[in-house]
This record gives sequence, C-alpha cells and structure tokens, in this order.
Amino acid sequence: MNQHILKKEELDAFIKKLSKRMKVVAPVAKGHDNFAFAEVTSAEEISLKYIPTILPPKKYFMPVREKVLEFSADSRGFEQKPVVEYEETAIFGVHTCDLAGISCLNMVFSERPRDYNYLTRKDHLFIIGLECLSYCDEHASCALVNAHNPNGGYDLFFTDLGDRWIIHVNTQKGEDLVEGMGLPKASGADLAALEKARAAKREVFKNEIGVEAKKLPGIFSKAMKSRVWHGVGERCVSCGNCTNVCPTCYCFDMTDSVGLDLKTGERTRTWDSCQFETFAKVAGNENFREERSERQRHRYFRKFSFPLDKFNRFFCTGCGRCTRTCMAKINLKDTLKELAAEHN
Amino acid sequence: MKTAKKPVKTPAKAPKAAAKPKVAFFDFACCEGCQLQITNLGETLLDILGAVDVVEFREAISEKWDKDYDVVFIEGSIGDHHAEERLKKIRARAKVLIAYGSCATIGGVNGMKNSFELDEIRRSVYGKDYKLFDSTPTKAVHQVVKVDYFINGCPVYGPEILEVIKHALRGLPYTVPDNPVCAECKLNENVCMYERGIACLGPWTRAGCNSWCVNNGNICYGCRGEVSNPSKAAQDVISKYKLKPELIKNKFDMYNKCKENDKSEKGK
Repeated sequence: MNQHILKKEELDAFIKKLSKRMKVVAPVAKGHDNFAFAEVTSAEEISLKYIPTILPPKKYFMPVREKVLEFSADSRGFEQKPVVEYEETAIFGVHTCDLAGISCLNMVFSERPRDYNYLTRKDHLFIIGLECLSYCDEHASCALVNAHNPNGGYDLFFTDLGDRWIIHVNTQKGEDLVEGMGLPKASGADLAALEKARAAKREVFKNEIGVEAKKLPGIFSKAMKSRVWHGVGERCVSCGNCTNVCPTCYCFDMTDSVGLDLKTGERTRTWDSCQFETFAKVAGNENFREERSERQRHRYFRKFSFPLDKFNRFFCTGCGRCTRTCMAKINLKDTLKELAAEHN
Repeated sequence: MKTAKKPVKTPAKAPKAAAKPKVAFFDFACCEGCQLQITNLGETLLDILGAVDVVEFREAISEKWDKDYDVVFIEGSIGDHHAEERLKKIRARAKVLIAYGSCATIGGVNGMKNSFELDEIRRSVYGKDYKLFDSTPTKAVHQVVKVDYFINGCPVYGPEILEVIKHALRGLPYTVPDNPVCAECKLNENVCMYERGIACLGPWTRAGCNSWCVNNGNICYGCRGEVSNPSKAAQDVISKYKLKPELIKNKFDMYNKCKENDKSEKGK
C-alpha cells in the first residue's frame, strides 16, 4: 500500500474531518504525567508526546463493563437476546506496543468459540498508529519483545519526519480515508527521510534487560519454583493494577443482574484480575492460587511462557505499564533480570 | 344424553398477588445521611416502592408498624445500653436485617470514641455530670445482633443499595466485593492519588463504590472497611511514596476503629 504525507499544521483539519465521520479518541493529558485515551474533536486536545496511557486502547475492544445479554423469565418461559454494543470509532496515536497488544487480543478472541462482541466491535474501530522514535521512559522494554517497530495491525501509521508525518496506509479503509482527504503521496525524499529516522531509531532502542528474548522460554521453564516469586509476592498489594493496565490481559467475569420486577435482567461482562484473591477460589473455599507469590508468578507465566506454546509469541509488549502503576515497586524488567540471574 | 355433569375443572385460582414485603428503616448513632441517600434515589426509589411496602421510615413517613417486619434497614452504630436493647428487639421482629452505612457496618466515625478511655471521653462530651448519660464503647451492628446483608459506605452508594435490595427480595446472599478500591479506580482511569503526592486508603479498602470519592477528586477514606486479607508488607508502598506508617494507620482509624471489637470477639 501507499505512503502519504500530512503536514503538521494540517493535523487539526485532519482530526476535525475525521471526527465528522466517526468518534475520534486520542491520548489526552490528565496531569501528573498521566494520559488516557479520550474523545477529541481537535488536534490541540491531543498529547502527541505521551507515555503509555493509564488503560491501553483495549478498553475500546473489550469495554471495562459490557452488557452481553438481556433476558426475561416468567411463567410463559425464558427468553434471551444477545447484545453487542459498538460505535464507529477512530483511535488516533496508538504506539507500537499497544498495536502489539491488540494483535495478541485479536488472536485470543478469534479462537473458537469466537467472541462476537469483541470481533464485531473490532470491525468498527479504525486504528491510527504513531511511531515512537525515542523511549517514552525507563520502564519500557519494547525492544526486548520486538514491539518497538510497526508490525501491522493498523489502518494508518504515522511517523514523525520533523515538519510532517509520513503515513503508511495498511488497509483499504485507510486508503479511502487518505484519498478522500486528498493527502499527497510521499515522495522519494520522504521515503529517504523515513529510512533515516528508522536507522537513528535502531541506535536508540536496544534490548532493555541484557538477556536475549530467545533465552526467556528456557529461563521460565526452570522458574516455576524460583525464589524470585516470594520476593514479588511479599510486596504485592493484590490491587489488580498490573493486569488492568496490561494491553494483553483479557480475563473477565460475568454477572447476571435481575431487575426489581424479578423477571427481566441482563448479563454484564466486567474485567477481572488473576491478582485478586477471589479469582481462583472455587466452591468449598478451595483456592488454587491462594498466595500472592503464586498469583504474580501466574501473571508472568501468562506473558512469557504459556502464550508461546499456544500462540507462538510473547504476550508482553514492553509497554511498561505494570511497572509504572505498581504501588509496591514490582518491576517487570528487574524481575526478568533476577530470574535470568537465577536460572540462566 | 349424558346429563351427568362433567367434573368442571375449576381454573386454578390466580395466585393472589403476593403481599409486598414490609420494610422498615431505623437509625441509631449516625447523621441519618444514609436515609437521605435512599430518599435521593429518585426514579429508582419509585421502582423500589413498587416492590416493597415501607411501613416505618422516620425521615420520610410518620406511620408506625406494630407487627413483624420482613426486612429492616439499620443505620448507625450502637453506643449505649438502650440502643443495644432496642436493636435486639427490632432484630427479634425482623426476618431479614440489613445494616447500611459505615456506622452500622463497621462502626464508622463513631468508633473514634474507642480511641479514648470511656470516662474521659464522656467527661469531655457531657461535662461533670457525665455519669447521668449512659455510654458504651461503639459497636457495629453485627457486633450486637446477626446481620444478613451489609451495604457499606459513608454514605451508601445508590447502585449498591439497589443491588442488595434485589438480592434480599430474591433471598440470595449478596457478596460484598473483597478487592481493593484501586481495582475499580484504575478502570475509571483516575490519576492515582499517590502520584499526586496524597496518601489514599484505596489499596486496603473494600471496593464496591466504583471509586466514587476518587472519581470526584477526593481520596479514599476507608469507609467501606478493610479488605479481608490486606497486604501485610506495606513498606514498599510507604517507601515509594515517602510516607509514615502511622499516617496510614491514623487515617484508617477514622472509620475502622471498631474493627478491634471483631478481633477481641475472635479471641474469646
């Protein structure tokens, strides 16, 4: 597909035109170096330079709370009606770590039985990526898992070339949009400038933990009984922040709520967390992961071990959110380094 | 021609519309703000009134009821002998008892009384004739009688009131969430209070309020009580944000002093 050009001073017009076609969401500053994807209608509301948002864009693919079913039951019988709620939305400014997160979730929810709520919503989301040419902060580990470069999973992808963006068009929807807006095609000089920016980037982004990614599966295969988990478990508050902010965590809970008529009701899906004590608790009060250390270990294995067997890729995108949000200073890069030191 | 009457099947009598449950509201030591929360439910209140018969509710109606209650709502904590006796009598007449509001569920701010010698605090409040005024260490409702449902919060949170009422009407147990408030706060994408340099009790307080206070720019004061298995080692949190452990404990005592009664009960 083609590469197009958008001059920086034209971003506002771009956003305004786009927001006439559909809802546009983008990273917005919330103060104290916190950002969140929120609705915008002009370029000035957008933080183009941002560290990963509090919640990743997965919240648009699988909302925090989502009605999935309406039902009614009375003497005449039981009726149910599945519900899928979605809205045509463009997500602007998605970093490559979050694009990687979305492709992980796409694989999970495309597995049979397919998750129609997720997949229907995905069809109504238009994704505009935004390249990082330098690190957001010291907590990122995107180069470790090779999520620092664009690897598909978007409609359009913006790379900063100083006074303009070069836009990689990845889908027909994207092509129609840039053509419709009359954005010029990139010239040879633009492509050369992109090459130069990528070459400079290669000098900036390096494996952040000093352990090769290909060694991680071997390390994790020996790490089930590691002492590292005890240290991590002793600190953990079990607040669930690390999983809520993770771009690849997708565990959820379902609850049925009945109305005051005691006949009609609805089923709601809510994000859940393997860090909660209740998560692995079953009837009879048996708990398969009673200790915080077991729950934290589980989280790391769900990122660096289990998905390799199932999907042949890491489910960590190196965004660094879990480290930034942890109140107890549990640090992903440090944990991996400690595990490597113990089991390499 | 058959004349014998066919036994006519009398249509099963339509079951009489089940009498609506008789519900009463009572208050003990409290600000009555939780009653106000119920009257503030708006349209939801009309729906509730369609499902139950409110027979006593001091803040909203003047009628009294002299028979048994299907459901009683108890607001406030128990702070003298008279209150204790009155609560026991209500319990004896009630099929289901719901404690609502922090004063009732965890003792709430009234529990601060328990931080002092009883006579000392009585003298400070009532003056030299303090012995004329009965007073006992503050207790939460479940520390006096059996409680079937808890609606935590100061004040109670509207959506949870409704959820508990629906559970009670169906006779199902309601499980109070046992995750920290952070779990809900993060989903609301609030900037963490600690990031703002302010100590907040969210990491140790039971969720279920949808991080109501933090959504509105306030800290969590711990009004829903402590999670059942709080993190023992808070030193990392305390060191990351340069806090003093006493600060957290003092903040917690504002609502949760009566928790000590539960511990001493267990010891018995």
